[in-house]
Amino acid sequence: MDVTIINPFIASITDVMPQLGFQNINLKEQSEKTKKIVASGIVLTLGIVGDKKGNVAYAIDTEGAKQIASIMMMGMPVEELDDMAKSAISELSNMLTANAAINFSNDNIVVDISPPTMLTGESIELSMSRDQVMCVEFDVDGIKIEINVALD
Amino acid sequence: MENIRVMIVDDSTFSIAVLKRMLQKDGIEVVGTALNMSEAIQKAQEIKPDLITMDMTLPDGDGIECSKQILNHLQDTKIIAISAMMDEEIIQRARKAGIKGYLQKPVDQTDLDAAIERLFEGDELYGILKNNFEEAFKESIFSFLKREIGGEVVIDKVADHPMTTCSSGISVAIGIIGRHDGRLIMDMSEDTALAMTRKILQDDGQQIDEAINFLSEFTNVIGGNACSLLNGLNRSFGLRVSPPTVFRGKDIIISIGDIMSESFVIKTDLGEVFMNVGFQKGVVEWM
Repeated sequence: MDVTIINPFIASITDVMPQLGFQNINLKEQSEKTKKIVASGIVLTLGIVGDKKGNVAYAIDTEGAKQIASIMMMGMPVEELDDMAKSAISELSNMLTANAAINFSNDNIVVDISPPTMLTGESIELSMSRDQVMCVEFDVDGIKIEINVALD
Repeated sequence: MENIRVMIVDDSTFSIAVLKRMLQKDGIEVVGTALNMSEAIQKAQEIKPDLITMDMTLPDGDGIECSKQILNHLQDTKIIAISAMMDEEIIQRARKAGIKGYLQKPVDQTDLDAAIERLFEGDELYGILKNNFEEAFKESIFSFLKREIGGEVVIDKVADHPMTTCSSGISVAIGIIGRHDGRLIMDMSEDTALAMTRKILQDDGQQIDEAINFLSEFTNVIGGNACSLLNGLNRSFGLRVSPPTVFRGKDIIISIGDIMSESFVIKTDLGEVFMNVGFQKGVVEWM
């Protein structure tokens, strides 16, 4: 596994989540997957270009996404994943990826990121831009966040 | 570059005179000068300039601290550092302080012009992009489908699209990165993707995996060609496309209302294609 690709994302989630009010951030699993990934709930993907090129996809189940949105909106109750809650999650993906881009730049790898694309559904089959996808799964205060990174 | 009001902060009256002459050559109005940090902070608040050129060494402080304090009160003011001293560390510190660019003394007129132009052209550039992106993407998809699929190709703009849209089966997202960032989403049913793949490859044995590859490449080509057309209008766009991500499944909902975007339905003999493309304005973080 190429850790130089996944480490900036691991550092990003470890840095950013506590700033938003989350307390326990645990790396549960780190693996390498083939191109096709199946996810349910909410999936966000952002494009990356520059010294490395590819994309990142975040997957969070619907309940987890609601909890995250609620914490990001200062504890406002989130009953359903409405536009406001989706916007919060979208902003989270943007923050995490922008932070990872800064971490890359500390290793002299300069990358730029695109705005996120958000999809919701059950058993969404994702094909990323390369055959090997680095995947890390985090437990953030009991919420599962999966990060899939395909970078060349 | 007219109508830009500039303040020059420099501990050397000679440097102020040189910069003043350069800026005035561009038709820029120099509305104030300051020789030290306290004068700079006070004058900036009074004058509220659009742009400040900031020396890094000042008798009562440094240009980074001075910029931080000014930006605390004036968020819309843009600061360019102009200093004899320039290394990676100070550039990083300047950037973190909210300074938009760094030029080394002696400053070249062309470099100064280019830096100011890039800082202030954002609004105008975004206008050009807004007025032209629809045509570029329509032209790109129309010529691809006409050439590869043939038959009738009709593009209808979706009058007002909602915040979300349901996928017909396969969706592809491509990120667009440049002076203004954006996104392209292409969506079609598995049947349409299969029919198009079989037609293009002239092979009825093609299966869904090939269709996914086709749609991925199709989106890449449409995005790439359209961005090239737009870059041709103005090189400062610097638009590049990221590799595609493909989504496949039943009842997938795609959010499209989060950025300024337009949607199109393209009718072909082999089925319909949905295209959504949009850009966000963004700001110049660093030049």
